[in-house]
Amino acid sequence: MRSKLARAAAALAAVTLAAACGAGEPAADGGGDPAQPVELTFWSWVPDIQKAVDAFNAAHPGIKVNLETVTPGPDGGYAKMLAAVKAGNAPDVAQVGYDSLPSFLVNGALEDVTEHAEGHAGKFVDWQWQTGVFAGKVYAIPQASGPMGFYYRKDLFDKWGVEPPKTWDDFAAAAKTIQEKDEDAYISTFAANQAPWMIALAQQAGQQWFGIEGDSWKVTIDNPDTRRMADLWQKLLDDKLVKTVADMSNGWYKDLQTGSIAGWIGGSWGDAIIRGNAPGTSGKWAVAPIPQWPGAGEFTSASWGGGSASAILKGTGNPAAATEFAVWLNSDPASVDILLSAGYGWPSIKDTGQIPSLQQDDTVFPFYGGQNIWDVFKEADAAVSLDWRWPPVSDALYATLTDNAKAAVEGNGTLADAIAKTQQAMVEEMKAKGLNVTGG
Amino acid sequence: MTGVLQRTPGTGTGAPAQARRRPRRLRPHVLVFVAPFFTAFALFFLAPIGYAIYQSFFKLTSSGLGLTEPTVDFAGLGNYVTALTDEAFTGSVVRVLVFSAIEVPIMVVCALGLALLLDSARARFRAFFRVSYFLPYGVPGVIASLLWGFLYVPQTSPLVDLLAAAGLPHDFLRADTILLAIANIATWQFAGYNMLVLIAGLQAVPRELYEAARVDGAGELRIAWHIKIPLVRAPLILITVFTLIGTLQLFVEPLILKPMTTAITSDYTPNLAAYNQAFGQANTHLASAMATLIAIMAFVISFGFLRLVNRKGNRAW
Repeated sequence: MRSKLARAAAALAAVTLAAACGAGEPAADGGGDPAQPVELTFWSWVPDIQKAVDAFNAAHPGIKVNLETVTPGPDGGYAKMLAAVKAGNAPDVAQVGYDSLPSFLVNGALEDVTEHAEGHAGKFVDWQWQTGVFAGKVYAIPQASGPMGFYYRKDLFDKWGVEPPKTWDDFAAAAKTIQEKDEDAYISTFAANQAPWMIALAQQAGQQWFGIEGDSWKVTIDNPDTRRMADLWQKLLDDKLVKTVADMSNGWYKDLQTGSIAGWIGGSWGDAIIRGNAPGTSGKWAVAPIPQWPGAGEFTSASWGGGSASAILKGTGNPAAATEFAVWLNSDPASVDILLSAGYGWPSIKDTGQIPSLQQDDTVFPFYGGQNIWDVFKEADAAVSLDWRWPPVSDALYATLTDNAKAAVEGNGTLADAIAKTQQAMVEEMKAKGLNVTGG
Repeated sequence: MTGVLQRTPGTGTGAPAQARRRPRRLRPHVLVFVAPFFTAFALFFLAPIGYAIYQSFFKLTSSGLGLTEPTVDFAGLGNYVTALTDEAFTGSVVRVLVFSAIEVPIMVVCALGLALLLDSARARFRAFFRVSYFLPYGVPGVIASLLWGFLYVPQTSPLVDLLAAAGLPHDFLRADTILLAIANIATWQFAGYNMLVLIAGLQAVPRELYEAARVDGAGELRIAWHIKIPLVRAPLILITVFTLIGTLQLFVEPLILKPMTTAITSDYTPNLAAYNQAFGQANTHLASAMATLIAIMAFVISFGFLRLVNRKGNRAW
């Protein structure tokens, strides 16, 4: 262990040295020597991202990016990245979810690229840019998010005479009406398996879960707004007005196909999931904005699991080139268009007007009866809270929340109890890690 | 079940007596032959175990907001205390003990029943049935779990539809039925293998014993009860121990079924809890402590069982 630390320290020193040496040189501007291009390694699991990498390489003769496909982060990709950083052979740029950036930072796996990146901040939506910024330093370039909307079977809603719910009270009322009209049909499932989904619902409900006060984390998971959200779903569960089948499971797909589940509060990338798994329902869907809580003031949405970034990993020998690649990948219109068509989520750039497929899409829009669903998600992405902070223990948060919510669905306590238990567990978890914590 | 241990061939005869009587001088060329095995054994078996035990005595410590690199500190038995005072982990231990109590008898009875049927004098198409019963063992555990998972999920299962139509209980994925659903997968998968172990034992029984019994007027049932079962005692104990170890290390089935049900949490079994700590939460130190505890538990229980059945000099193997 000592030798590993020593190696990490040596790597760190080398990086600082390289950065110091590099400071005098002109900033990378796509330059470099085309004959001897700077080689970068990029780890990602986004399908089709190779096309975007190829486009970058074609446009930047001085930099050559080699893509290596890894398993998605939570399924082992992150473990591999953290291990690679420890071993001193990490890629220069890697796909890391917004929710996992703090864990990476805590593990000392991110490179400070403030000097190369801060000039590009204006290109990106504020809340998405902030996910890669810690204590004023930039470590990652945002790629895409999952702003939430309400997918629903318009044909069935019309048949039942149900309007897409504008408020959460409407949502509960609609759930009841749908069950009355058709005992086999439900407005939605309560996906206790899906922590990022439940977290997004809490994020949208008002008060946030994690904050920073001085040099201490403040944990406020068990807050009145989250409890209000939990109580609403608990009532729906008690009255058996929602299903409890896991989302994105085979059972759930079947329910989408048969109309047994007629709605889904989902992220913008959920479109590809519905289209891919219930192709027979084409033309019957529509998307409405996520229901609102009373007293919210302006329209509020949330992002499913945050989203995903291109992080510059500790140990890169070329922070300038790595940053340039990450910025281009996530802001060049051609690249964004490729990522979008891969179904990877809502782009992090401010100016989505220059992305052709967001204006007209002959594959997507007909599935929703011709609706331009991207208008709904554009509005949603602009309505995501700026205050949300991911803790450095999001993996533990996901596991704990899911376990507690599953227990509640199985009848051991309520969702409000699950929230209280999660609060307590997270405070303990962070304390055990040696972090400064205050409970809400 | 892990399967790895289950694949070990069942040699239950003990070391040849001759070798024990005349200890040989270790000749240098012997080393050449055993070196490859022991090198691999040390590198890929002993070293990882040693490293895991070593890791279990450390922990990562951050400070403040945690924006700086964490340090690795000696934790003593801290991780073990954390694991043993974690209700979810101790709960998972109790759960696999309950699972063992259900699964081991079912497995032994099924395997023995099948073996006796195939070994009986009246059995027909023996080869066909032997292969049929053994076939599920050839299906990888992950596939078997997926396959049964489809049969358990109401939306995709013809089985659930049939049971529901017949008015029978058909909810396999609730908290109070899921262990039985898992036991069913494990039995389906391994009963055939264990049956083969028993059949091998039965075939070693001298046929004259049966003839003698028949002459004395014993029927098939009496022969099975008074001759066959006592004579396959050693392989019976063997499959019991294998099944015990397999159930205590329950992992694949709950991992695969987890996304399909709210009844399985991320720490449903001790192995799953260790896996979740290592790969879900990047806490390899606590995971190592949990893994060590699981190993100790499996060791103590299986050797405890062997001691129990081997007492009074009545040594089975």
